Order: sequence, then structure tokens, then C-alpha cells
Amino acid sequence: MSFVEEILDSLAGRLPCGYHAGGPASSEPTALAVMALSAQGRHLAAAKGIGWLAELQAADGSVGPTASQATPGWPTSLAVLAAQYAADSGGALPTTAKRFDIDRAVGWILQTRGEALPRTSEMGHDMTLVGWPWVENTHSWIEPTALHVLALKAVGRGDHPRAREAVRLMIDRLLPDGGCNYGNTVVMNQVLRPHLQPTGLTMLALAGETNADPRIAKSLNYLARELSPRTPAASLAYGLMGLAAHGWPQDSANSWLEAAYRRTIALGSSPHRLALIALAAMDAQSPLNVRNRHGQRATAAV
Amino acid sequence: MITKAQENQPTSNSPDRVSPPRMNRRALVLGGGAAAAGLLTYPLLRRAIAKRGMAFIARGQSYNGPLEQTLRDGLLATGFEPAAIAGKRVLLKPNLVEPTRKSPQMTTHPAMVVAAAAVFRQWGAKVIVGEGPGHVRDTELALDESGMQEALDSERLEFADLNYEDVGWLENAGRASKLSGFWFPRSVIEADLIVSMPKIKTHHWVGFTASMKNLYGTIPGIKYGWPKNVLHHAGIPETVFDINASLPKAIAIVDGIVAMEGDGPIMGSAKPLGLVIVGTNPTAVDATVARLMGLAPERVPYLQLAANRLGPIEESFIAQRGEAVAGLVSPFKVIDRPHLRALQTDAGPRVS
Repeated sequence: MSFVEEILDSLAGRLPCGYHAGGPASSEPTALAVMALSAQGRHLAAAKGIGWLAELQAADGSVGPTASQATPGWPTSLAVLAAQYAADSGGALPTTAKRFDIDRAVGWILQTRGEALPRTSEMGHDMTLVGWPWVENTHSWIEPTALHVLALKAVGRGDHPRAREAVRLMIDRLLPDGGCNYGNTVVMNQVLRPHLQPTGLTMLALAGETNADPRIAKSLNYLARELSPRTPAASLAYGLMGLAAHGWPQDSANSWLEAAYRRTIALGSSPHRLALIALAAMDAQSPLNVRNRHGQRATAAV
Repeated sequence: MITKAQENQPTSNSPDRVSPPRMNRRALVLGGGAAAAGLLTYPLLRRAIAKRGMAFIARGQSYNGPLEQTLRDGLLATGFEPAAIAGKRVLLKPNLVEPTRKSPQMTTHPAMVVAAAAVFRQWGAKVIVGEGPGHVRDTELALDESGMQEALDSERLEFADLNYEDVGWLENAGRASKLSGFWFPRSVIEADLIVSMPKIKTHHWVGFTASMKNLYGTIPGIKYGWPKNVLHHAGIPETVFDINASLPKAIAIVDGIVAMEGDGPIMGSAKPLGLVIVGTNPTAVDATVARLMGLAPERVPYLQLAANRLGPIEESFIAQRGEAVAGLVSPFKVIDRPHLRALQTDAGPRVS
């Protein structure tokens, strides 16, 4: 049995799942697990996760981080990605289960905005650009912006003006030598450091864009240079998926992911990390690589 | 399960930005069980850390030296009562904001955590380590880059990932900001004692960071984001004060062996000091740290708010144990900005 099959067997019996074994069931790891299971045809297990996300969906369409926390709504992006992918891959809920309403979730996404702020000489990025915040009524940051852009692309709304502005925001937040962090570039004339996970996620969200900004290639070079067999699971998975989405598959990806899998098991079998490893093992076919699906999807309730 | 309809939803004018729970009790129930069973329910422990205004300074310290003895000496010298902690839950909270091997001066050294764990375990406490890194979502990476995972493994220490735990609500006991309360992770609420274990660093927005600012890392990312931007919008000095006011069960063990100066708290350079500072009142400890850095505590906004409310900042009201401050002051370089120059006791070194 391959390590990916071992992961899928583990996830199939744990939905809804949490960030850590024994932790509270959470929307983000559950949505990632749904995508991993759907991609491998395990629709019945995936449907359980979708059904749980549907139970969490609020009247305004948003999905909170856990069953007990209905806000903030940033996991809505991941729930949309999971529900759309499950529908596209042939999965369906039993007729008795509550349906996840993708249209309503997209409606919430489109009315949620990061707070624009006046430009200041102390901050290097364009604070007037609007993407998505972690928490409503705060500034836009790069990871929630990337997640919501992926969600919009997955449902065929990648051309929406909000998505287009968000793409400009993500490129603006790339560091001069490539890569990005949580979303600051230069503070008080000091260039900040890049991080692997947000860079990989941002590269996923920028895949398929025609922008020729050299920082995109520099970001891919940064990932290719920094990823290693020792890179922790989530950073490794996002990094590899970001590279694969731009046609930069890594020859050693599978062995690195298997090593990350072994470490994840040794550290307590985090469902969140296991799901990411399984997704990254699909290379360019990862459900988070929505570039091939951009514009081809119609929203639906699943 | 709390549904969206049951929560008080923030409006665009809401000062909270994160929704408070419908029931504003002192502590929100966590998973149906009573939370916040911590310090306030233990009179002996309350007395143990109520000895206000003491700060212990040890000089000539190193990460491979007898830190365990230093910390034990410091805690006892500042009035900590070991008997109070027997059988209780102690949360060690290092600073792992954005770890990288390229900048070990950014994060609390694992040797400090190992030594503190040994001391509290010897006193009969159940010790866990917890942190909610503020800039990185991959906590495994933070533990790996900081060297903390190796320490956790070698000492068989449990780690609480404070960004992703169940959360409970505590009312804002400070009210300097407009936030009505804070969501805290289960491990924070259930701890009988929180040991803030910061690295001494300059901070380009608020001057410096030590034990009080370090408690930003007790705020969960799934509720506040990465960075915890809700706190920034509500005011950094105000929320530093409010979080500390809302967590009265905290003491301080400060890593000043290799500190950070210049463009802290992330991009600064190493400043070897060889100091460890310990105390049962974080305000008094941080005021002492500020003096050691060549900063005037009375000019630091969050210490202004805390002065005589959470603890003393005047030198005459802080009983010094171990080494005296005088003679150990080593002015830190700060970024050459007006708001930072104003904190320096004299024309100390600056970087552009």
C-alpha cells in the first residue's frame, strides 16, 4: 500500500477532522481532506465532510473555522473549493444530507473585503488594493486572498473584478527577490523574509495568470531552491503544489512527501498535514491547481 | 455547537471585529465544561505570584550553562512559592513569532524552555509548552526552525499549538482598547500559571518586546489571523495591556542571553547580553528590561498603561534581586524614527 493510500484510509475514517489529532473538528483540514478523498474516488467518505461543512454554513453563506466558531469566515474559500471539486469529480451527497450552497458562499466571498488603508512611506506594499482579510473589517493579507481567488477560479469566477484586483494585490505583495510571507514586503525600509507556505499558496493562486512580473519566476526559483527532504509537511506540500501548478514538477517530490508523511505520523498524525501531503502527491493534478478549470465551471449546490 | 444565528454578529462599526459570544461571562464554557479553572481559584497560587515589584537579574549566563539553577534562584528570590504549583498546570510560552535558523536571536532559545520545564516539574507541576506563532501558519516549521521540536522531544514535553485549539472567551479586564474581550485557546484558559518566556528585542512599532508583548502569542490565529491584525487595529499598546490585564496568572522568565537590537522584532541583529531576568510581575520585569536596554519605561506606551495598575514601573518601587540594573545597562540600537528616539534615556545608538 502506498503512503497516499495509507493517508486516504486514515482520513476517510476521521471526517470531519482537525488540525491535530484530538483537536476540534475544523473547516480547513476537513475541506482539504474532502478534496484529497474526492480526487481518488472516495466519494462516500468525502460526502461526509461536505455534509459537515454544509451544516456549518451560515445563512449568509459563510463557514467559520470550527463547529463552535461561526466567525471569522475565511474558511469559506476552502469549503467552496471542496464542494465544487467534489461535485466536479462525480461525488454526490445522499439525498437526505444538507446541501452546501456554493452560490451563497460565493456571494459572501464577493461582499467580503479587506480594509484599504492610505499608503504610507513606512510600508512597502500598496495598502489601497483590496483582497481578503483573515477577519472581517481588517486589512487584506496574502493567504486569505490567495484562498479566495482559488475559490473564485474554481467556480468559474476568476474574471470577476474582485479576483482581478486580488491578483494585482498578490503580485504587489511579492518580495523583490521572490517569495512572500504573510503579506508584508518592506517595513521601515527593511525588506522582509519570504516563507515557503504562503509562497506556495500564492503561486497556486497565480497559476494561469499572464502577468510577466519577474518576481513570479523568482518566487518559483525560491521554492525550488529552498524545498528539501527536511521541509515540514505543510510548507513542503504548498511549495510543491505551487511549483507543479507552474509546470515546475520536482523529481524528488514523491520521496520528500513520503518522508514528510513518516514525520507527520511520528508527530501525532495531524489530519491537516496528512491531507496536504495527499494533495501535493497529485502534482499538477492537485484539486488546488485550479488553472486548468478556470472558466469551465458552473456553480452548483452539492 | 454555536450557530451563526446564536452569536452576536459584529457590524461594520463593531470595535471587536471578532464576534464575542452571546454570553459574556468571565470565561466562556469550553466544550461544555467549565473553563478558567486557573489561578483565581487557587488562593495559595495567587499569593505565590502576588508579590509585586520584584525583578531578579542574573548576569554571565549562557545557553549551555546552569540555567536551571538560575531560574530556580530567580523564582525563589522574587517570591514564588513552589508549594503552590504542585499538581497544577503550567504553560511555558516562548516567543516563536517567525523562526528561522538564520536569525536565532529572534526567538526564545530552547535551553531556556528546557530549564524552566525542569524547575516546574521538580516542583510537582504538569508542564506544557504552548505558542501561537504570529507570522507563520506552519507551526511544525516554527518548531523546527527554532530548534524547539528537538527540545520538546528530548524532554518529552507536550506542545499546545495555540493557533488551532478550541477557544474560550474572557472579558477584557483592561479596557484600554475597545475590544470587549478576547478569545483564548483552551490551554491558556485552563493553565493555572502562564510563564511568559520572551526574547529581549527591540520592536519597531512599540519600542521593545519582552514578557508583556509576548502574550500576543496566546491569541489564536484561527480567530484573529496571521498576523493577528485585529489587535493591531485596536491599538498595539492598548491590546498588550488588555491581554495582560485579562491574564493575571502570568509570570516572566526572560531570555536576554543573546538579545535582538536594531530593526526588531524580526529583522534585527544579535546583541549578546548574557542576562536572564525573572519575576512574578511581568510589568515590573519589563520595566527592568527596558532600563537594561537604555529605554525609559515611563515613555513606553504599554508600560504607561500598566503602571500601578498591573504592577510598578518606577525603579524605586521594584525590589531588585540578583544583580543591580546599574552597571548592566547596555543601550540597544533602535531604528532612527521619532517615536523610537523618544523612548531612549539619552542619545543612544540608532540605525537607519
